[in-house]
Amino acid sequence: MYAVETKDLTKRYGKTWALKNLDFTIDENEIMVLLGPNGSGKTTLLLILATVLKPTSGQAEVMGLDVSTQSTRVRQILGIAFQEARGFWRHKPADILRFHASVCGVPRAKRDTLIENLLRDLELWDARNKLFMHLSGGQTKRLEVAKVFVHRPKFAILDEPSSQVDLRGKRKIWAQIHKLQEEGSTILVATNEVREAEYLADRVTVLDKGKSVVCDTVRQLKDSITGGDIVELEIDSPEPQILKRALGQIDGTVKITNSSSNRFKAYVSMAESWVPKMTDTCYRSKARILSIRVTEPSLDDVFLHFTGRALRETSNE
Amino acid sequence: MSNILRLIWFDLKPELKPPVWIIMEWSVFLVQVGVYGAMISQLVTGIGNYSQFFAVGLVIMITFDLGSHIGRHFVEHAHEGRLPYLLSLPISRSKLFLTIALQGGTELALMLAVPLTVTLLIIGNLTWVSVVACVLALFLLGFGVAGLMLALSFIAFKSSDLYTAIVTGLSTIIIRFSTVLYPFIFLPPQYATAAAFSPLTYGSDLIRFFLGFDPSILLNPYYAVSVVAALAVSTLGLGLFLVQRLVEGVKSA
Repeated sequence: MYAVETKDLTKRYGKTWALKNLDFTIDENEIMVLLGPNGSGKTTLLLILATVLKPTSGQAEVMGLDVSTQSTRVRQILGIAFQEARGFWRHKPADILRFHASVCGVPRAKRDTLIENLLRDLELWDARNKLFMHLSGGQTKRLEVAKVFVHRPKFAILDEPSSQVDLRGKRKIWAQIHKLQEEGSTILVATNEVREAEYLADRVTVLDKGKSVVCDTVRQLKDSITGGDIVELEIDSPEPQILKRALGQIDGTVKITNSSSNRFKAYVSMAESWVPKMTDTCYRSKARILSIRVTEPSLDDVFLHFTGRALRETSNE
Repeated sequence: MSNILRLIWFDLKPELKPPVWIIMEWSVFLVQVGVYGAMISQLVTGIGNYSQFFAVGLVIMITFDLGSHIGRHFVEHAHEGRLPYLLSLPISRSKLFLTIALQGGTELALMLAVPLTVTLLIIGNLTWVSVVACVLALFLLGFGVAGLMLALSFIAFKSSDLYTAIVTGLSTIIIRFSTVLYPFIFLPPQYATAAAFSPLTYGSDLIRFFLGFDPSILLNPYYAVSVVAALAVSTLGLGLFLVQRLVEGVKSA
């Protein structure tokens, strides 16, 4: 059984299709990252799974429970950190977390210690008695994700968990997400930050215009781009043109260019298996390798490859 | 039940630290009754003691305002992002609706504590039964108005401007074309026809009946209690239906 499964899931806002016949699964104890630009349907999917929104048609199940017909039971096993933390202007962070923990059934004996540790870890301890409306953007975001960490649900949903947060804060949030996974939670993260996706994901689902474009591990997604890896070589060879031809014949080579007689740029699939073959070819050609630089495609390139548009461009639309 | 109480207390706590808005409401009431009510009662001759009639009218208006406030609050919660959070908590939709209603009831009790006590003191010579019946009728009316506003609040998901316009217009009509400030029998026929459609007409006459006002200037209490109860049950039922079936958090992205 999948931890999460959707079949033909569709959500419409008037004439706009936010999700279109989406089939999507998450395995138990997996971190699934939804990657896509703004408006791709990420938040809509999260809100449907959290039972906040109702699907227009199709089916969605969380741990075998239908989100439409068993919504209260679904909410008992999940926790969600929304994209924007809002709504409790006149409350203090410690009070918000205490309330959230109590409503979500965190035992009273554990509550205060858990909250204190979290506030300290996420660097909110000094702000614990400030009113919510006086917190900075980064602090409200950290408070929002802290709700999930204090709850420690079986299924955690985080919508852009580290947006507006500085690098140090991001790493702390990511570490907490990994800790949650180690404790057995299944985690769904929506983001349009490539680095966040690469750091967290067991698998990535690329969403575009409400549809799942592709779903796989980061490694597989990158490897699926033909010629996506770029190997820049500096080689001292007595016969560079012959060497160029030989390099072009190695399995996985898509294209070879050279900017000067001893500098080559190879566009290859799966550089990790191409490089050993290249060194072998150079050895046989009596060429001496002076330097190698391998650049693998980013998830932005993956998005571009599968949708024909760059993730950053579409995010700014 | 404990989660319902937690939610009510969590929402109310910041409002009570300090309870400025409640004290302001009490102060406005005291000034209205003490100054305006005292003066106008000397000008009005058709009713025995108009300041008593006026004080009850003000209590009804506070009840109506609070009912409207609950509906508006619900919409604000949706737009501020609090509603999606509440909808994601492990509480059933019907309990969430009950929370909203009980919170409104608690706010109403706090808001009316002083105005109602002062009104009862002004009227004097009351029995426990009449006071309890009056309080129950007020809550019934408060729930009815709150239910009506909650049902109307769904307009605000489409357009908050339209909602504000409708509620402002409705408030003006419902209060002015009613027996809140003047008895039904003194209303000109065209106003009386409009007042017959205002729930506040039945609420205010019912409460005045319980508080011992001259029944000859009031509507039939059985008729009034039926209308107020029907209003509360139907609008709360509609509100519950909308929360359970239709409500969705406002998607922010």
